[in-house]
Amino acid sequence: MPSPRLELRSVSRTYQINDQKLHALQDVSLAAEAGTVTALLGRSGCGKSTLLNLAGAMDFPSSGDVLIEGRSTSSLNEADLTALRRKRIGFVFQFFQLLPTLTVLENVELPLLLSGAPNSAKTARDRLQWVGLDDRATSLPHQLSGGQMQRVAVARALVQSPDILIADEPTGNLDTGSGDQVLNLISRCATEFGAAVLMATHSAEAAAIAQVRVRMRDGRIENIDRRQN
Amino acid sequence: MRSLASLFRTLIVRPLKRDRLRTALTVASMALGVAVVIAIDLAGDAAVGSFQSSLTTIVGKTDLEILANGGVDQQWIGRLAQLPVNARFAPGLERQAEIQGAGFVTVYAADFVAESNADISRSAKGPADWERAVVVSEALANRLHRPTTLRIQGHDFQVLDTAPAKTEFVALDIAAAQQLFGDYKKLDRIDVFLSPREDLNRAELAIRAALPPGYEVNRPGTRSDENQRMLRAFRWNLRVLSYISLVVGAFLIYNTISVSVVRRRPEIGILRALGTSRGGVFWLFLTEALLFGIAGSVLGIAVGRLMASGIVGLIAQTVNSLYTSSRPSEIALTGTSVVVAMAAGTLVAFLSAAGPARAAMRVAPTEAMGRGSRETAVRVGYLRNLIFAALLAAAGIAASRVRAIDGKPVLGYIAALLAIGAGALAAPALVLGVVRVLRPPLKTVFGAEGLLAARSLTASLGRTSVVVAALATAIAMMASVGIMVGSFRETVMVWLDTQLRADIYIRAAGPTGAGQYPPLPPQTPALVAAVKGVAAVDTFHGFEFRYQNERAILGAGNMEIVKRYGGLRFLSGDSSAILASLPNQGRAIVSEPFANKHNIRAGQQLSLNLGERQVHVTVAGIYYEYSSERGYVVLDRSTLLKYLPGQPATNIAVYLDPGVDSAAVQRQIQNATAGLPILVAPNQLLRQEGVRIFDRTFAITYALEGVAIIVAMLGAANALLALVLDRRRELGLLRYLGAAPLQIRRMILVEAGLLGLLANILGLILGLALSLLLIFVINKQSFGWTIQFHPPYGLLAAALSLVWLVTVLAGIYPARVASRLNPIEVIHEE
Repeated sequence: MPSPRLELRSVSRTYQINDQKLHALQDVSLAAEAGTVTALLGRSGCGKSTLLNLAGAMDFPSSGDVLIEGRSTSSLNEADLTALRRKRIGFVFQFFQLLPTLTVLENVELPLLLSGAPNSAKTARDRLQWVGLDDRATSLPHQLSGGQMQRVAVARALVQSPDILIADEPTGNLDTGSGDQVLNLISRCATEFGAAVLMATHSAEAAAIAQVRVRMRDGRIENIDRRQN
Repeated sequence: MRSLASLFRTLIVRPLKRDRLRTALTVASMALGVAVVIAIDLAGDAAVGSFQSSLTTIVGKTDLEILANGGVDQQWIGRLAQLPVNARFAPGLERQAEIQGAGFVTVYAADFVAESNADISRSAKGPADWERAVVVSEALANRLHRPTTLRIQGHDFQVLDTAPAKTEFVALDIAAAQQLFGDYKKLDRIDVFLSPREDLNRAELAIRAALPPGYEVNRPGTRSDENQRMLRAFRWNLRVLSYISLVVGAFLIYNTISVSVVRRRPEIGILRALGTSRGGVFWLFLTEALLFGIAGSVLGIAVGRLMASGIVGLIAQTVNSLYTSSRPSEIALTGTSVVVAMAAGTLVAFLSAAGPARAAMRVAPTEAMGRGSRETAVRVGYLRNLIFAALLAAAGIAASRVRAIDGKPVLGYIAALLAIGAGALAAPALVLGVVRVLRPPLKTVFGAEGLLAARSLTASLGRTSVVVAALATAIAMMASVGIMVGSFRETVMVWLDTQLRADIYIRAAGPTGAGQYPPLPPQTPALVAAVKGVAAVDTFHGFEFRYQNERAILGAGNMEIVKRYGGLRFLSGDSSAILASLPNQGRAIVSEPFANKHNIRAGQQLSLNLGERQVHVTVAGIYYEYSSERGYVVLDRSTLLKYLPGQPATNIAVYLDPGVDSAAVQRQIQNATAGLPILVAPNQLLRQEGVRIFDRTFAITYALEGVAIIVAMLGAANALLALVLDRRRELGLLRYLGAAPLQIRRMILVEAGLLGLLANILGLILGLALSLLLIFVINKQSFGWTIQFHPPYGLLAAALSLVWLVTVLAGIYPARVASRLNPIEVIHEE
């Protein structure tokens, strides 16, 4: 059995708010494998976003381990973490999070520029073509529809061909038609790029594309549902 | 009302407390602006304040004073006493005398023996022997540790008493003074004390009718008014320069309130949706500005008071070298100056915030619901602004062509303000244009950081433009004053080369301030002329005189020698022919400032009061002169001595035979004149002294510019911090996308560098325009001299590089803040 791209082992995350301790995640274990979509389901505040931040190496567990490609994120220094985020992880957010001052092409190119990759413009243009927006390369984000913006965000997340794609409510701010387009792209990320996709969602349509559905409640995993496509 | 107060607390005070550093930076900028204004005002007052004659404190207030160019003949005291006027006429004399252990000190002489003028005699301890007695001012007595005797010009005097005065002087009886100075004929003035029953107008008319036409009868305060008038251009220019920091501060308040409005648009929308009136919102933000204004002013007054102590000496030195003798008095922080400073600071804050507050008022209630409104940059119609900029520039050019009003270059300053306005309005177009050109190379050199920095500056064009305009204004002021001073310095250097043609210069020992022409011992010219190696001796007679209620300098030299050695450059006409036309003719030459001040052209007639006579002379030419703003009227010696035969020589220019050893001749002159109280200096020393005085005069100018630059730097740091705080989400996102903290830091520093570069470009263009205004309009109209345009390129390049570097340094803290933001927090603030 291949080792998972991403693995959470007995992970807990506790926040100290004034005198109180808030247990955002408690003893969570989960693995995401290449080419699969894992959906995190549950009410707001159940710990989905906390889990995504830990999986994206943006935050660190209070106890337990988050392993990416077999290495614990807690053991990495700032430079290694930055390299990890650049090369291996892509993010898609509910509110698109495009930089309003950059053109569509520049938004997609940005991660490559940050890592100093060669031929960045060409790679970015390829990804834009992949999401079907190469004709909007010079537009500014505010000139696009919500669906188009999220497709640009997907292209940006994929521009480094990451091993892990983290999507936080990617259709939460879209109409059904646009949402379907984006879900289709996310699904293809797993199949065509072999990425391990970890997606938090409230939507049944979004959950439907996932091979693994993780239901969460009060910071714990309630059940895991695996299905064969 | 209570609801507004509570809104104010929540919407304004709370964020101000949260962003303590930004609040502090804004208040500090405002405080510095106000501080400079008040410091210049207080220091200027203190430097000028001591003009009022200290003698008033001991002889009482005169009702009239009788004055004459070249001195008042003492015999007029007796003659005036015969008039049917109920008055007492008292002699007045003022000289500088060397006092052992104290250097040169002002000596006042009055008729202390006269019975009715016995204030001082009464206060004296015991019967006064006025032949060998003096009264010393409290200030001098303290410096000399309360002496009982004083040695004045080699003679001992007993100290009778001290006079309560903060300036240093010695007072003695007129008879003793005349004996001391060896001058029994001439007085500086006759003071007239009227009896209470006498009518002032009647007495004035009667006295005037009795006196010769060359004599003047003035009311007290005339001298003080003359001084104020004489200094008005100098003080005006300093004052205007001091307002630069306040103008820069105004830009920053505008920026702070704009940021405040942009960041709180959603809250404003909610408030409007909940029923807050547009007026309520408007006043909410104006009150915020008012808070900055008041806090800045209060702090500024305290800092300004301290600054004033630091600069009063510098201003007084300039006044002394260029205008007239004065000693700085105490700095007095009056209620008026406090009110003026408070009003200036608050008003500037108020006016600069009116625009952003109006923008706040116009926020629609629906904006509360609009996502992404935080990204709404201040939209700027840069093309429209560019057209307005062109209109303002055209108006500025038109204003610069208008003549001075009441001797003040009012329209020149308005032209400068219009130019600054034009620069500010052109800023958005410049930012867009330059950044568009620089974006590709920035991306190539700095990668993502370069691209993001360039994009971010143009995205928040409104704010960027204000910061660029504020910085550019400060830079423009620095550049323009730098160009003006550099040009002036070069012009003065060239002039010194032309003017100082003699090899050795001689003057009487004594104070060197402006208007000080201590007489040379009469035997000096003959002793010098007899020294071997001396080719020619030009004896100069200089003294302060009054012309049309203004003071100037009247001088007379040997024009034949001046012509032979070629020492003067004229605005027009042949120098030799002009100089040759002066001896034994009723002709004079005048300096350029004198001609401009009194609107005089060559060929015109001047009416001069010389001694008892009113003399008419024709202006043969106007010559370039840069040592005195008050100006010179120069006659040939033959003309002066015809009307004032006893007028002592004050300076000697010595020309040597070709090839002789100048230092050796100087030594021989010193030997020949040994024992005489004179100073012999080589040409080189005079030149150096000229340059030293010039540099000292403009030291304060550089200090003022420095403050304006500091204010602008605080503004740059403030603005960059605001940009960082406003882009928290974007900066957080960059971390998600793989940006290292160092890259975020670099991005902010690239932005700071770009801001500095943009400000330098605009500042240099604006500075060039302002320098032309300063040189050819403001200076010409204020001081009357022609300055050749000589920009100090090296200095300018160094100064601009320094400003750029400091702008980048101002970005260090905001960059640190940016790199330390918690990405998870800021990305989930949505």
